[in-house]
Amino acid sequence: MRTFAYARADSVERAVDAQHAQQAGAFVAGGTLLLDLVKLDVMRPQQVTDISALPMKEVAFVDDDRLRIGALVTNTDLAHHPDVRQHYPLLSQAILNGASTQIRNMASTGGNLMQRTRCPYFRDVAAACNKREPGSGCDAMQGINRMHAVLGGSEHCIAVHPSDMCVALAAIGATVTLQGPDGTRDVDFGNFHRLPGETPHQEQDITDDELIVALTLAPPLAPQGAAYVKLRDRASYEFALAAAGAMISLDGDMIGEARLALGGVATKPWRCAEAEEILRGQPAETATFERAAEAALADAQPLEHNAFKVPLARQAIVRALRDATRDAKEGHA
Amino acid sequence: MKDYSEHSPDATVPVHLTLNGEPVSVDVTPNAILLDVLREQLQLGGTKKGCDHGQCGACTVHVDGIAMNSCLRLAVMCEGQEVTTIEGLAEADGRLHPVQQAFLERDAYQCGYCTPGQIMSATAMLDDERIASDDAAVREAMSGNICRCGAYRNILAAIQDARQQMQGADPARSDLASEVRS
Amino acid sequence: MNEMTDPTVIGQRTPRVDGEYKLTGRAGYTGELHVEDMLYGYPVPATIAHGVLTSLDVDAARGMPGVVDILHHRRVPKLYRSPNSMGHGDQVSEIRLPFEDERIHYHGQYVALVVAETFDQARAAAHAVVARYRQEDDARPSLLLTDAEGDLLEEEGDSRGDPDAAFERAAVTLDETYCIEAESHLQMEMHATLAEWRGKRLIVHESTQGVVYQRNALARTFDLPQEDVEVISHYIGSGFGNKLFMWPHAIATAAAAQLVGRPVKTVLPRQQDMLTAGNRPASRQRIRLGAERDGTLTSIRHDSTTETSTVDRYVDSCGGATPSAYACDNVAISQRILPVNHGTPCPMRAPGEVSGVYALEAAIDELAIALAMDPVELRLHNYAQHDPQSGLPWSSKQLDKCLRSAADRFGWSQRDPGIGAMRDGDEIIGYGMASATWSAGRQPCEARVELRADGSVFAACGTQDIGTGTYTIVAQTAAELTGVPVERVDVKLGESSLPAGPLSGGSMTTATTLPAVAAAVRDAVDALKEIVTKPEGAFAGVDPDALQVRDGGLASEDKHISFAELLAMHDVASVNGKGQAAPGGEQEEYSFRSFGAHFVEVRWDPGISRLRVSRVVSSIDVGRAINPLAARNQVEGAIVMGIGMGILEKLEYDPRDARLMNSNASDYRVAVHADMPEVVDVELLDYPDFRFNEFGARGIGEIGLTGVGPAIANAVHHATGKRFRTLPITVDKLVEALG
Repeated sequence: MRTFAYARADSVERAVDAQHAQQAGAFVAGGTLLLDLVKLDVMRPQQVTDISALPMKEVAFVDDDRLRIGALVTNTDLAHHPDVRQHYPLLSQAILNGASTQIRNMASTGGNLMQRTRCPYFRDVAAACNKREPGSGCDAMQGINRMHAVLGGSEHCIAVHPSDMCVALAAIGATVTLQGPDGTRDVDFGNFHRLPGETPHQEQDITDDELIVALTLAPPLAPQGAAYVKLRDRASYEFALAAAGAMISLDGDMIGEARLALGGVATKPWRCAEAEEILRGQPAETATFERAAEAALADAQPLEHNAFKVPLARQAIVRALRDATRDAKEGHA
Repeated sequence: MKDYSEHSPDATVPVHLTLNGEPVSVDVTPNAILLDVLREQLQLGGTKKGCDHGQCGACTVHVDGIAMNSCLRLAVMCEGQEVTTIEGLAEADGRLHPVQQAFLERDAYQCGYCTPGQIMSATAMLDDERIASDDAAVREAMSGNICRCGAYRNILAAIQDARQQMQGADPARSDLASEVRS
Repeated sequence: MNEMTDPTVIGQRTPRVDGEYKLTGRAGYTGELHVEDMLYGYPVPATIAHGVLTSLDVDAARGMPGVVDILHHRRVPKLYRSPNSMGHGDQVSEIRLPFEDERIHYHGQYVALVVAETFDQARAAAHAVVARYRQEDDARPSLLLTDAEGDLLEEEGDSRGDPDAAFERAAVTLDETYCIEAESHLQMEMHATLAEWRGKRLIVHESTQGVVYQRNALARTFDLPQEDVEVISHYIGSGFGNKLFMWPHAIATAAAAQLVGRPVKTVLPRQQDMLTAGNRPASRQRIRLGAERDGTLTSIRHDSTTETSTVDRYVDSCGGATPSAYACDNVAISQRILPVNHGTPCPMRAPGEVSGVYALEAAIDELAIALAMDPVELRLHNYAQHDPQSGLPWSSKQLDKCLRSAADRFGWSQRDPGIGAMRDGDEIIGYGMASATWSAGRQPCEARVELRADGSVFAACGTQDIGTGTYTIVAQTAAELTGVPVERVDVKLGESSLPAGPLSGGSMTTATTLPAVAAAVRDAVDALKEIVTKPEGAFAGVDPDALQVRDGGLASEDKHISFAELLAMHDVASVNGKGQAAPGGEQEEYSFRSFGAHFVEVRWDPGISRLRVSRVVSSIDVGRAINPLAARNQVEGAIVMGIGMGILEKLEYDPRDARLMNSNASDYRVAVHADMPEVVDVELLDYPDFRFNEFGARGIGEIGLTGVGPAIANAVHHATGKRFRTLPITVDKLVEALG
């Protein structure tokens, strides 16, 4: 494990300044991502700026009915927050489906947005990986790609975005607030994560000296049902092979509003806008769900070992829509 | 709010923490990991290293009462915090914590290497009212602690026993209880 | 008859005597030990699996803070290969010495060992060592990715009757191939060595299942008298077989300590542990069965191929249980090995047989379907009343009772054999079952026991407790035979200078160790009797044979005096007893095996392609369980491991270059709490096997694992109609077959 300098920030401004002065700096909050990857020599920060003591731990509704979440709110606290449980149950479910109790206790909201792929070739410095070392190639393409993306990949990278929380956020809609040396700016969550394209190492719309300070959720759908269906190899403490997060509002037996996002199958948290279109105003029944699932995976490009993810993701979608509908009928929220 | 501070890579940073109820000051490098500081510098070997990457749970400790993987935490970040390890769980007179006692009685271990982590997770979980008390919820909440010996059934029974014990009720009437004791 | 027919401590549920140490963090596992002046070792692993190390630049690393030395192929003390003899007790896991040459045989092979003042410094410097390689492009990644046949091992083959002819004549035949992917032990505690030279003496703390074997092998490796090597292993974070025999990291660490003249501790990082310290090799097994229409088996052929490395010949003999499994006149087994570019495989819980039992018991299930017979009935129909291989009677076989009892508790009679015929909500329920079996062995063993004036009993043996509960059953044995309470028995294990004890492996430790401990207790009691019956003694004039051991003391017709009092009365601190025991003539008269049956319920949700194991009901016949609390735990844990084998575990080697791509505890998946079935109901039948030893115990570490895999696969077939013949049965396979 390489050495690094350490700064403990006492204000967001100072944290950003400390980072701005560095060639290769990194923020640390929970540490679950950074220290894992530093030990693997995948991340090589020369300075680590500790932001864990900064006052970014509030969860509160702001004026227009949108929930604002401080970047340092832990995954555990967010998942169990009464407002999240009541108004954004999908977010709560998704978080609790991810990682382990201990990691959720440590991991921050901002850190989760910065989560990096679990691609084994990314995590092995002896392998070729365009994300880790631009231009070195992609060993996953012809290698073991059972866990890799069927959506949003490029010839340069097919690494899956591993977050569960971000799947819920993609469905809900959110704004990411960043603070840099020149002040703050907001980025729409849907644009925050980038497709790999030719630059898989540029994973998010954030500069090295910007800090995520908060996340503001779109107003909740109401009344709604929600379901997060995560399909994986073991029953817990496991990344998704395919996950679907769905929110449904009903108008009688018809779907009013629908939101759908996928995890485990795409290079970024994957909002299924076309599928949502198909769902709107249609009967809340299996045939509709299956049409939406078809549409959501229409562009899938499977590789040697991950073709199963296409039907699996469709199943996750159909089940999530079914369960969200049931949830809505049971009068949730 | 902690004060601003900056340290070069090869600096030794004094960290002051409350470790198992006692004030401790330890000099660490900025990249020192809490788990390694506990095991090597402070020679508290009860906290185990099973993967060093947050994948097994053997290193679980409490930081300000919250269960964390000490393998993924910088020691310098523990400045001013309370850290509790397995060595700090039993009473000063040696009486075992109810979870430890239940593990003993239920044989909730084999090789014992994951055991401190299991116990630290279990004690934190039992203190966390947000986690439901049914068997399925306990299994889910404990899934960050791998037991390769596979003593999961007895661990669950021990946790449910301890829950009863700590609530002052008769020990354990989980569905496993009668079977395990037969 | 003997005193073990109605014991009061043996056979009782006894909390572990070492429990408090494990529960409070005070049990000292090797990796957390510290000695004065100790340095840290950190190996540098090869990043290719097949090729040559072309250059090794250690200069930068050597100059880093705290670095004391770096060992590699040009800087290593003279080492010798161990003769590697099981019979002579110096078997090693990998015959190649560390740093022998520049040839790279597998991913992770050590190319250097950094020695530094702190763990952090050693790790940082290890990352700074620059190794360059010439990778060769004909790496062999896995048995299951090639059609290569491997080398036939004549000595591993066996046959009776004429299975080929019987197969040709059979009314119903089956010819299928079954595979299991390579597995990792993933024992919770990584391999660790703390080596310290005191003059010419070498003291090694090692997380090992065999202190005596490692002592012997180190003596050979460093050309030392055996008496000058001590290997110590008081607590072991399990091993499941991969800590039976010494690995290169231990040699490298001891060599480093010799070179720098200070103690060195090396704890393998998990990645390196998985790369270099053994795995269950992948297996490919062809089973051919022939049967009459009534289900009578007429031919069994079992041809197996398993992996070995390119530096050693490890044989995972899959067919071992097959010749004795069923009453069938015509049986043949064969074994091949195929070298692949992996670290050398090694025994893993029920080595060989667990794989073989999977193939055979899955095939028997397929045959039952072909015959339209109930699979339990088919097994009972071909029940081997004696061992058909040796012709000897079984010492004790209760497999029929296992099958019936487990079937009954499981509710097998409610099974609708139709595919997918049983449903519960979204889920289809599948039932499957299989028999379990594991050989019952024992080895020669020595032990020593003291009766002490403080009222305690001391018992010592050079075996180990790897989590199976050996400390506790030795204490129970001494308690049983002395009447001293268990908590007053001090047990010392895990030191090679203790009387020679067995490996903790093969489910042999209990049956091997306890008779020696018992003999030592009796010898110690005799020593005490000798003192107390002397003319000045407390029992002067009493015939020693008339003195009974009772309640922690000796009793004549008219008085009882405790050991403590007796020793105090004679101003003696302790008496000492030595014992030894070994298998004897019974081996010529009986066949010894353990048996069991697993019944498994799986739930298959076709809407989301989710498979889970929801219920396991097992009956196990291992003779007497010395400590049913720990024994049952062994079986329950084995079932968890079996679930891993059935649906989760697979080492993934890159097909292009044989690099292991999931050498971590996340991407290599073992069952977590949430994978535990809602119901696991294990019954230990209680039929003491006194023909095997006076305790009636046959050992329990392995048997629970055998049969779980096939029971799951059979249940999956019942639920889905699809026969999966390669384990694990993972989501991708399910989707591809059924989606």
